[in-house]
Amino acid sequence: MARPIMPLLKGTLDVIILRTLGWGPAHGYAISRWIRQTTGDELQIEEGALYPALRRLEERGWVDAAWKTTDTGREAKVYQLTTLGRQQLQSELKSWTRYVAAMARVLETRPAEALS
Amino acid sequence: MRPDEELPLSRRLPVDEDVGRELAFHLAERERELIAQGWEPEKARAEARQAFGSLDAVASECKGITRRTRRARLRAETLDAFRQDLVLAWRLLRKTPGFTAAAALTLALGIGANAAIFSVVNSVLLQPLPYDQPDQLVDIAEAHEKGWSNPPWSNLLDWRAQSRSFDGMASYGRSVRTALTNEGPASLRSAVVSEDFFRLFRVSAIRGRLPAPDEHRPGASGVAVVSEEFWRAHLGATTDLAAERIRMDRDYQVIGVLPRSFRFPNNTDVWVALEPSGPTASRTAHNWSGIARLKPGVTVAAADRELDTLTARLARQYQPDFDAVGAIVTPLQDLLTISARRPLYLLLGASGLLLLAACTNLASSMLARGMARRQEVAVRIAIGAGRLRIVRQLFTEALLLALIGCVAGLLLAEALLRLFVHLAPPNLRLAEVHLDGWVLLFTALVGGTTTVLIGLFPALRTSGAEPAMALREGGRAGASRAERRIWNGLVIAEVALAATLLCGSGLMIRSLSRVLQVDPGFRPDNVLTVSMSLPTAVYDDDRKIDQLWTRVLESIRQVPGVEVAGLTSALPMSGNNSSGSFGIEGVPVPPAGYGPGNGGYRMVSEGYFAAMGIPVLQGRDFDQRDVDGAQPTVIVNRALASQWFKDQDPIGRRITLQSGMDNQGEGWLTIVGVVGDVHHRNLTIPAAPETFLPMHQRPSRGYSVALTLRTRVEPRSLETQVRQVLNQTAPDVVPAFATMRERLAASQTDRQFTTTILSAFALISLLLAGVGIYGVVSYTAVQRTREMGIRLALGALPMQVRGLVQRGALTQVAIGLLFGFAAALVTTRIMDSLLYEVNGADPVAFGAAAGLLVAVAWVASWFPAWRMARLDPMLTIRTE
Repeated sequence: MARPIMPLLKGTLDVIILRTLGWGPAHGYAISRWIRQTTGDELQIEEGALYPALRRLEERGWVDAAWKTTDTGREAKVYQLTTLGRQQLQSELKSWTRYVAAMARVLETRPAEALS
Repeated sequence: MRPDEELPLSRRLPVDEDVGRELAFHLAERERELIAQGWEPEKARAEARQAFGSLDAVASECKGITRRTRRARLRAETLDAFRQDLVLAWRLLRKTPGFTAAAALTLALGIGANAAIFSVVNSVLLQPLPYDQPDQLVDIAEAHEKGWSNPPWSNLLDWRAQSRSFDGMASYGRSVRTALTNEGPASLRSAVVSEDFFRLFRVSAIRGRLPAPDEHRPGASGVAVVSEEFWRAHLGATTDLAAERIRMDRDYQVIGVLPRSFRFPNNTDVWVALEPSGPTASRTAHNWSGIARLKPGVTVAAADRELDTLTARLARQYQPDFDAVGAIVTPLQDLLTISARRPLYLLLGASGLLLLAACTNLASSMLARGMARRQEVAVRIAIGAGRLRIVRQLFTEALLLALIGCVAGLLLAEALLRLFVHLAPPNLRLAEVHLDGWVLLFTALVGGTTTVLIGLFPALRTSGAEPAMALREGGRAGASRAERRIWNGLVIAEVALAATLLCGSGLMIRSLSRVLQVDPGFRPDNVLTVSMSLPTAVYDDDRKIDQLWTRVLESIRQVPGVEVAGLTSALPMSGNNSSGSFGIEGVPVPPAGYGPGNGGYRMVSEGYFAAMGIPVLQGRDFDQRDVDGAQPTVIVNRALASQWFKDQDPIGRRITLQSGMDNQGEGWLTIVGVVGDVHHRNLTIPAAPETFLPMHQRPSRGYSVALTLRTRVEPRSLETQVRQVLNQTAPDVVPAFATMRERLAASQTDRQFTTTILSAFALISLLLAGVGIYGVVSYTAVQRTREMGIRLALGALPMQVRGLVQRGALTQVAIGLLFGFAAALVTTRIMDSLLYEVNGADPVAFGAAAGLLVAVAWVASWFPAWRMARLDPMLTIRTE
């Protein structure tokens, strides 16, 4: 716990959830576990913050939810992308990719001569 | 995966539980994972909670969001469903355009007629007069042994001085005359008003000022105030009132302009400040009307009692020159609306019946539609449509229908109102009538509620158990006994309502035709009349007036097409009814000091009787012998002759006029002729005794006259020529043209107005009854198709089958007629005063109503019956 943790940029959680659900329907805990594993604990996400985010996505019509029985026989609320959500994911992915590329260029390109 | 939020509300998890369970699941899973990694259970639980953050905050945030989501979804769904219902309803209504149009029109007629009539009643009878605290304004008249009259000025002054009920008292008189303004001659309505008159109404001048008290006194300089309209039309809206003088009987200085809202009495243009001469004047000169304002809190009855007491005291003091026995205090509003009240309430009642008929008709046609749709509803319930959903659908449909009807009703009301204003007699003063919003709302609610309630009927009738039954009956599911009874009852009610209205309008039509058959006593065809009045300040001398009219008559008689011309001071049906007492030579004058005779008096020229076609029965018409200075002569009518001279010859007998008592002792007049009776006031009022004085001997009565011309051609065609002649011979007068036919018709406008509208209502209700009968007969006929098919197969003649179907309808009409006649006998009693020589139970009117209804029922039932009679028996039996 000693290493510095990056705070999450605003709106990033939505993209992460959409991306996760892009692989298929999942319940809240599964999403949370997946985020934890893929980010390798680099991102600082309070686990609880996931749930309001999910419900907000539901309100916007990007995800649907239904109570299902899991493989382990427990009742869980399972979320899945709606058509609208899928479109949203596509456009988010595009803009993130462009954003990241642009950032990378700025951060990595060294000027050929003095800027002034 | 079907999302939970699309589940019906009942199968969704409540928000609290939904959130609680989801978060609990997360914590439990996390804990399990940690334990699996080797954590101790207690530490694992703590770690799970720790990593989660604030459980309460998250939970409440989640709940908030989901609640919001659900609310929004519910709203959208409801709106969507309503739109769907509306679209479906519209489609269904369009599928049966006949029914839809008929129902909407029925509703529209009921709403339109009621809203229009009530708006008229409201603005004419119920709206307070447009003055400050109008309920305090009262008319004051004197009670006599017989009838009433205007209060003499001296009595009014005593009342004003001695009474404590009033906050002011004034008198006013009115006349129509020609005035000369700076811009030329103008015909106007003028009023002479006493001090206090304007203060009573609490009106103030919008320009200039009102007369000061001493400007009302006889002998004052003569001032007048004018209406805003007159100020604009004849004074060019001048700001320099000081330069404006109006010349009538004398010159008046214009000192002020009154606001547009003030035209009392009777659309006055010019108010002249003048009081009758001082308190010593006669106590039996009933020239001017009295008006007063009650003190706050004083009732009309109390004021009336006080004046009665005062009058009794005055009577003791001034006998015998006193003829009042009491006072009559009437709220001004009642006085102004008295003639309109009965006809309007009658029409209001009739429009109420019409609304009832419209609702009944709607009920029966919606019922029919409902029965026809029972099977559809049953099928939909059977295949699982929610009952609520079906009720909602039917409700929407009825609502849409009601809405269409209401909008059409609104448009109709507006149109009807315009028609009323156009048809209305002038005494209704409908010009400023506008549609009343509340009554529109009320009638729309009544009509709409009926539609909606009846529209829901099929859904309410088909309870959960019934669909199967309805289906089993294979669409033949007829109306139940109770339903059929309700339906028959509705049709009977429609017939009864129509019968009541038809009887009422029949009575009015009969009265009108009786009135129009009355012989007016003159021959109204081919008579042109020209009303004129003189600016008496110019014609201030009897000789001048006499010369003017002599000149006018001479030149008018030269106009080609004029057969004979004459003059009168008062045309029949003109509202000009001067009358007074007269004495008869050889008959003692009663102790009261006047009489014994009483009757109208007019000034006429030679040729008047001939022009009007009034026969000279005895003696002669006036001629060149009856001039100023010759023996004073008079012509009387038959009513006077037969009342006072019975079988003796009246020619050569003498009478004396005591009109206004002020002219007492004016001398004896020798009767030179007797003419036929004329209905002077109105066709419905019998002729009273009348005296006619020769123009040349009474020129002072000639300041306001009417020329009467009997023409060889269409009378109106002479208007231009006559106008030209008048322009040359009498440039200071403003002539007003009308044929005697037009005057006769105008005298019956109010009767015609009431009759026309009542008859229109009756016809509509008749139509509604016809539609109702058609509906029930067609339905019953379809129900009995099989029976009729069998009858035909067994050899019944088509005619017999038709008779069978129609008999049912006629039975209902008979029952309805019985109820309708009973209602008519009761309700037409309130019409008594509006009827003329027709009994309230007139067999012709009732018979006509019955005949019309039977005829309509026969026609309405004929088509369904005919269809039945044409059935192919084999086909009908097989299809069943």
